[in-house]
Amino acid sequence: MARPGAVIEVDRNTPPTLFHYGEGVRLERLPLGSRIVYPPDPLEPIAHPERAIKRALGKPLDDDPLKSLLRRGMKLTLAFDDLSLPLPPMAAPDVRQLVMEEVIDMAAEAGVEDIHLIAALGLHRRMTQDEVRHIVGDRIFSTFWPDRLYQHDGEDPDENVYIGKTAQGEEVTLNKRAAESDLVIYVNLTLVPMDGGHKSMATGLATYRGIRAHHNVKTLLGSRSYMNPPDSALHHSCIRQGQLIEDTVRVFHIETTVNNHAFPSIASFMQKRETDWTPQDQAMFLAMKQMTDIAPPAFKRGVFHAMRAPYGLTSVNAGQVDAVHDKTLDAVRNQISVPVEGQTDIVTMGVPYLGPYNINAPMNPVLVVCMAAGYLFNLYRGKPVLREGGVLIFEHPCRYEFDAVQHPSYIDFYDEVLADTTDPFEIEKKYEQRFAEDPWFIQLYRKSNAYHGVHPFYAHYWAAFAMQYAGDIIVVGGEREVVHRLGFKAATTLEDALEMAEQTVGRHPSITHLRVPPIMLCDVQ
Amino acid sequence: MTAKPWYSGERGVTQLAGAVGALVNDVQRVRRAWHWDTPRPHTWPELGAVVPPPASDLGWARQEPVRTIRYLIQHGLLLPFTEAMAHPRVEGREWVKELDRPVIFAANHSSHADTSLILHALTDTARDRTVVAAAADYWFKRPLMGNIVSLFLNTFPFSRTGGAQGQLHASSTLLKSGWNLVLFPEGSRSQDGRIHEFKPGVGHLANETRTPVVPVHIRGAQRIMPKGQKLPLPAPARVRIGKPLTPKPGEGSREFTTRVEKAVRTLAETPKSQDLQGTWIERWRASKPRELVYGDD
Repeated sequence: MARPGAVIEVDRNTPPTLFHYGEGVRLERLPLGSRIVYPPDPLEPIAHPERAIKRALGKPLDDDPLKSLLRRGMKLTLAFDDLSLPLPPMAAPDVRQLVMEEVIDMAAEAGVEDIHLIAALGLHRRMTQDEVRHIVGDRIFSTFWPDRLYQHDGEDPDENVYIGKTAQGEEVTLNKRAAESDLVIYVNLTLVPMDGGHKSMATGLATYRGIRAHHNVKTLLGSRSYMNPPDSALHHSCIRQGQLIEDTVRVFHIETTVNNHAFPSIASFMQKRETDWTPQDQAMFLAMKQMTDIAPPAFKRGVFHAMRAPYGLTSVNAGQVDAVHDKTLDAVRNQISVPVEGQTDIVTMGVPYLGPYNINAPMNPVLVVCMAAGYLFNLYRGKPVLREGGVLIFEHPCRYEFDAVQHPSYIDFYDEVLADTTDPFEIEKKYEQRFAEDPWFIQLYRKSNAYHGVHPFYAHYWAAFAMQYAGDIIVVGGEREVVHRLGFKAATTLEDALEMAEQTVGRHPSITHLRVPPIMLCDVQ
Repeated sequence: MTAKPWYSGERGVTQLAGAVGALVNDVQRVRRAWHWDTPRPHTWPELGAVVPPPASDLGWARQEPVRTIRYLIQHGLLLPFTEAMAHPRVEGREWVKELDRPVIFAANHSSHADTSLILHALTDTARDRTVVAAAADYWFKRPLMGNIVSLFLNTFPFSRTGGAQGQLHASSTLLKSGWNLVLFPEGSRSQDGRIHEFKPGVGHLANETRTPVVPVHIRGAQRIMPKGQKLPLPAPARVRIGKPLTPKPGEGSREFTTRVEKAVRTLAETPKSQDLQGTWIERWRASKPRELVYGDD
């Protein structure tokens, strides 16, 4: 049985703690009495994923068996999540591939001629052919690419339709092929509670017009947190949109979850608690530390991004979206929840090399904010681990480094928008529309592998709540100029940062370190 | 004058002089008879193409350890080089993934790069069992080159100038021994990249051996290495593989060849032809991995 997550108090015998530091690692000694929150160990994966998938499709939740929904002459669309999940990308075969192969087998048996497979990108970048192939596998790729397997284009005026408005006035748009289908089967992979459910269709197959209804500062500030759907205004909005989509098209949802076995054996020390490190883990840490200290960033990036996670399937559910998503959330929480008692004055964390938006690219400063103050800070249920007005400290090199192919609009966002202000409301009002409608960014999103022009804004909005809530945010080891541009304070060492934090939270603060990744969800009581 | 035999009793210089004299005499006779230094008589028929002596079928190239060496050469050199030069896009690989019997690959031909592109497009299993028909009068004029090419690409000499029965026999023997055959039925590389008329050999061979023919269309090879160019240049290529065609009962060789030629021409077109490349259901089933069946024992 897998060990549950734990909160350990630092004493004299506690070994130093691992901090991720972008494309690098560090060991830090936390002050005595600090707490370290560790994620649970990976759950035992399902031994026969194919059988579990067959079972789920044969006995769906609140829906008819998939086989009975497929018939000759129908228009069938399979939509699936893009490469932003899971992180790091999963070692082949990806669970989406296994699910889709099963569904396609059934469709072939039923004689469904008209079938399309669409990568539900939303406003994310188009994937490369190899990335698509990695998700769907060789067999699907060679059978369907490129005419029946392709990627959603949220800026193609001919391939998207406006469906209507929700009772709250949120506009809803949908990929035309999906809207005109007799059945849409959505194949999802849920890593954190934020993913999946109605959000899959409402963002993955939508356009800017539909997505802006919930990807805005007001909604995100009203989501406490967006990692806990019942308390998330973002998810409430997606549910309203999703219900309208379900009135338009028949949707069959398939959701999968994986355990948190995020690192291959070569980096298993990242997966383990420091007290569990074997001599091999210690040697591996030393080797990786030396390598990351001296190697140029591009080389380190190559090594890190080549890592594939040996995730194992922990659940697969199919059927009506709400029923399925409830089960999925249970499975996710079962894997990542850690009970944490009370809030704390200071939260520390190490930001890893990878977030959802920088697969095969450097994590630029805007994405560092999104990752640290957005995703990692919001991995809580109930209330944040940090008390209001407390100090968030994270470690990352924060280099002025952008991928011009994937993140062209991020460069302008950093150089032009953040130079003016870091206030999310002001940014939204003053700049968002211009970037979203910029023809060059639209062209790059549609034809190259670039994120949509509006995407850096969303990345910044994810962090809006943390920036408003925390008394101070301090970046350890970051480039001073970049950190200041982001609106944060820079410190050279963790000791300096803790010293600086005392000016905000007072002497003898309580400190909690979140040892992520692997992912966890702090259930703060 | 002829040289005297060893038992004639003459020895030494006398015998040597006799031998040299005989040789000179012979050479002179031949020179005069075949007009070495005067124009070829106009009454003589035109020169025929060079017909090489019946070459060996290069059986050594299809035996171990040569197959292993070729595997290493192909995976270490040929395939990475092809990938780097052409980054070929392969469509329809599922049709050759799990071949349960030998087939003939019939492709258009515009460049020496065609062979590498076809081999690159095949799966490892199919490639390992594939021989390439190479023009005997071109590749095997010089035996050393013929053997080297054979080591790299598993070629066998194929006469373009006749000897249909002999060729048929050699090719059908290969097919019967389980080897797939790559043929370029146009006979020669196209100068302009257009597909020329197919020679009926492919239909004849398929008809006689009841072997399916897989039509293959290669686009872009001409830009990599057009006829007359010595070195390849990088350019994108696409290899499109169609559904295997089988001669219908009563269908003549020429009719079948025409059908194969039409199939290759259709593959060249966009959009894809469902008849030729199959519906997705057919392709999906064709690419189903072979299920391992374990016996009770």
